[in-house]
Amino acid sequence: MLERIERAEPRSVSMRFRIRLVWIGMLVGFFFLGIVLWRMQVARGERYRQRLVRQSTRRVRLPGRRGRIFDCRGTVLADNRPSYCIAIHFEELRQRGPWSRTVEYVDSLLDRLADMLGLPRRISRKDISRHIRRRLPLPLIVWRDLDDVALARWAELASNIPGVELYVDSVRCYPFGPLFCHVVGYVGRASVTPSGRNFDYYWPEYEGRRGIEKAYDSLLRGEAGGKVVLVDASGFRYRDLVAKPAKDGVDLWLTLDVRVQQAVFDALGDKSGAAVVLSPRDGRILALVSSPGFEPNLFIPAIASADWNTLLEDPRRPLLNRAIAGAYVPGSTIKPLVALAALSSGVAGRETEFTCPGYLDLGDRRFRCWYRKGHGRLNMVTALRYSCNVYFFRLALRCGPEAIWRLAKEVGLGRRTGIDLDYELAGLVPDREWHRRHFGRGWSDGDTCNLAIGQGAIVVTPLQMAVVAAALANGGRVVRPHVVGRIIRDGVWESPRGGGETTSLDWRTRALAVVKEGMAEVVGTRDGTGRLAALPGYRIAGKTGTAQYGPENDRKKYCWMIAFAPLEGPRYAVSVVIDEGHSGGQDAAPVVREILKTCFELEAAE
Amino acid sequence: MTRRSSATGWTRLRRFDWMIMAAAVALMGVGICFIYSASFHGDPLRVAPYYRKQLVWDGLGLLVCVLVGMTDYRRILRGAWAWYALAVGLLLLAIVAGVSVRGAQRWLCILGVCVQPAELAKIALVVVLAKYLGSGARRVTGWRIVLTAALITALPFSLIFRQPDLGTAAALIPLLLVLLYVGGVPGRVLVFLCILGLLFAPLGWLALDEYQKNRILFFLDPGKDPLGAGWNKIQSEIAVGSGGLWGKGFLKGTQNILGFLPRSVAPTDFIFSVIAEEAGFVGSAAILALYLVILSACLRTALSARTVSGKLLCVGVAVLLFFHVFVNVGMTVGLFPITGLPLPLVSYGGSVTVALMAGLGMVQSVRVFSVRI
Repeated sequence: MLERIERAEPRSVSMRFRIRLVWIGMLVGFFFLGIVLWRMQVARGERYRQRLVRQSTRRVRLPGRRGRIFDCRGTVLADNRPSYCIAIHFEELRQRGPWSRTVEYVDSLLDRLADMLGLPRRISRKDISRHIRRRLPLPLIVWRDLDDVALARWAELASNIPGVELYVDSVRCYPFGPLFCHVVGYVGRASVTPSGRNFDYYWPEYEGRRGIEKAYDSLLRGEAGGKVVLVDASGFRYRDLVAKPAKDGVDLWLTLDVRVQQAVFDALGDKSGAAVVLSPRDGRILALVSSPGFEPNLFIPAIASADWNTLLEDPRRPLLNRAIAGAYVPGSTIKPLVALAALSSGVAGRETEFTCPGYLDLGDRRFRCWYRKGHGRLNMVTALRYSCNVYFFRLALRCGPEAIWRLAKEVGLGRRTGIDLDYELAGLVPDREWHRRHFGRGWSDGDTCNLAIGQGAIVVTPLQMAVVAAALANGGRVVRPHVVGRIIRDGVWESPRGGGETTSLDWRTRALAVVKEGMAEVVGTRDGTGRLAALPGYRIAGKTGTAQYGPENDRKKYCWMIAFAPLEGPRYAVSVVIDEGHSGGQDAAPVVREILKTCFELEAAE
Repeated sequence: MTRRSSATGWTRLRRFDWMIMAAAVALMGVGICFIYSASFHGDPLRVAPYYRKQLVWDGLGLLVCVLVGMTDYRRILRGAWAWYALAVGLLLLAIVAGVSVRGAQRWLCILGVCVQPAELAKIALVVVLAKYLGSGARRVTGWRIVLTAALITALPFSLIFRQPDLGTAAALIPLLLVLLYVGGVPGRVLVFLCILGLLFAPLGWLALDEYQKNRILFFLDPGKDPLGAGWNKIQSEIAVGSGGLWGKGFLKGTQNILGFLPRSVAPTDFIFSVIAEEAGFVGSAAILALYLVILSACLRTALSARTVSGKLLCVGVAVLLFFHVFVNVGMTVGLFPITGLPLPLVSYGGSVTVALMAGLGMVQSVRVFSVRI
């Protein structure tokens, strides 16, 4: 047979060799594959794993619940309320084929939902496409803030549609509306923070824009968490991998008291102006109102541009927090400081007397007293009581401007008080140097006269004047005013920003006693300028002021009053300014009266 | 036919190389597991039923293997030309009445069962070349024989090439060369042939139609289509590389679950990526080792075979198997451009499984009928 012949042939020997060679070739081939696999999977596996992570995971930033803001007694001033939203999840609605089919499907689904819920559509076809392109792994919120009717319809008709879900969002709200608009401020949609840049997607989040919301934003926001979402090749969410829960924001407890704030607000009424009530002991602010205000809830979730423009163009400037950023001329409220400067420098005493004929001639200029007929002969106490300009011209000329500048700066005029709010105005105490720089001339006696009655270039804020009142009340300690009393962080009470620190001035007790006596007569006598602030049963010290401002042909008056009470062991320092009025005694004093009345009533009730 | 090997069916079965069977069944088992995994996208209730179909094909393949193994290979060799004619006929039929899948006309469907005649053609070519080169006293060194063998190969090659199925067509070339070499053709002749082939390749390129050129370019240069074939290459490399030493665990390979490895090719051409990702280097090396077991058994049988045809038959089956594994794994790790070659016994696919099991059956037959009594 054939096989037997073949076996005898020599080629079978070479065949064995060649088969072995083929085997060796195959071994080499597999060995080569093995090496390649080892290199890819073991030696360089990490690189491929990173590429895999990069292409299949997305990081989403999740903000924490924003901290709430309470007044000193626990009334909530800024809260988070639940807002029911309808969200759709694309991974459950995806359609085979091109993207346009998924868009089409979602589009018709929204039409159906709009019908069922009886709501107009908010999300256009374009929005759907944009969401698919940019934020596919996240749900798309198609309706926000459902009312009860829509919620009921949802529960009845639409809750079992796949891919559509009820989502509870947290929305900021301000229960007291305009009452705390300047202090508490408001929030707006946050922009991306540098710390959040390593996320692929952001969940809408609020950031403080004004007031405490802004000043304490980092505390209120807490620490954003995040989650890693596994996405499939088309970019749809597959599932969540890991999540780091967000840390909720810190709750703030303010020093403000809703009841005092309300009283101040009501007392100011619809007048433009500002008022601050603080504790002379430690600078706690009990009320801080600027009028007119605005409705902070308008800013949630975002203010309509029409509303925003109305606020911006309003000539009364409701967005301005006059209490800390209003530039005011102090007028006669500076007189206690002038008196104190003269007493401290030893050039005058309680019984130092000057005669007021109604004017003072200085070179060719005539400086008038507000009382044209003249006050006659006055000592320091009666001069304060009647707020006689001529007396203080002479007093200031006698002690010189340096002592007044020094004292004014010591009690905090011309620099920020350090209140824990943003956009505080520093104000200005003009001195010789400043005059040279801005007017190109030196300081004249006329400037000293202006300074003595709080006119000229001097600028103060109502808050600074409240601090002055507090310093007069507490014997020379300049407190640092603050609105946030304490915070709860991780269940522990803390005091933020070292609130309440003070600078002690070395005022002579006797000098201060004279000023206090004069200020007490301002309110406590029948002919004192601040008599309208008097409250039966309480001794109140105060000083009114009426400062002219504006162009010659349209003079307006800032009506001031600073006060503290009670005279012995004062617990309240008040500063009130009304933008346009007749005089401090007529317009500001009744406001002070209302404020102090409420304070004492509340004390008595407790 | 010799009386000598007329043993009973039972003794024939006992003479089977059970190492081959064990390794083949192991590969099939792995294959079914990972076809399941490749069709799994997170929901056990929505797994595509490929793994169940493959179970049937695997059973059929084993049956064919045993039946062929118990048949004397010399009887099969005698019918070699008939098999060859059948294969070529089916290839022609595929051109006339074939079903087109993704631009390539590879399938013949009868009563809902679809087969690829190219797979049958590969085995038929092994048989016919083994018969032609191994028959009788003639010296295989002559140019006439080399040329005839080349022509025998060229017919199915050109038909498969036209489908176009470049991968399968390409598998025929090393088959021819290795069989010629083992059959006794001097190495220098083969080297000369290779050089000649390379020289004439550009001429063949000119002979192609424009659309065919595009298809070849598409296959050869994945960068032309980064979201198509190029995408597969990149994602397959990421899948393999991210598997690490021990892999991510069964059903835990995200490349496949998240669809980065396209769902249409994960259970077929890219099954090795799924294995490499989920079973790591250890798993991929184990798969290669199982193939080495089969290959070594085939070549051992070739050494011990008592006829030249038998030897060539075994070497031919081994070369086919080796080429498929080498090119498929090479493609998976990015060494070769994407071609449609499956991983034999593991990938989802009926024709290739049954054809290859028939080939292994012939190896068994060579072994069974080479034993001296």
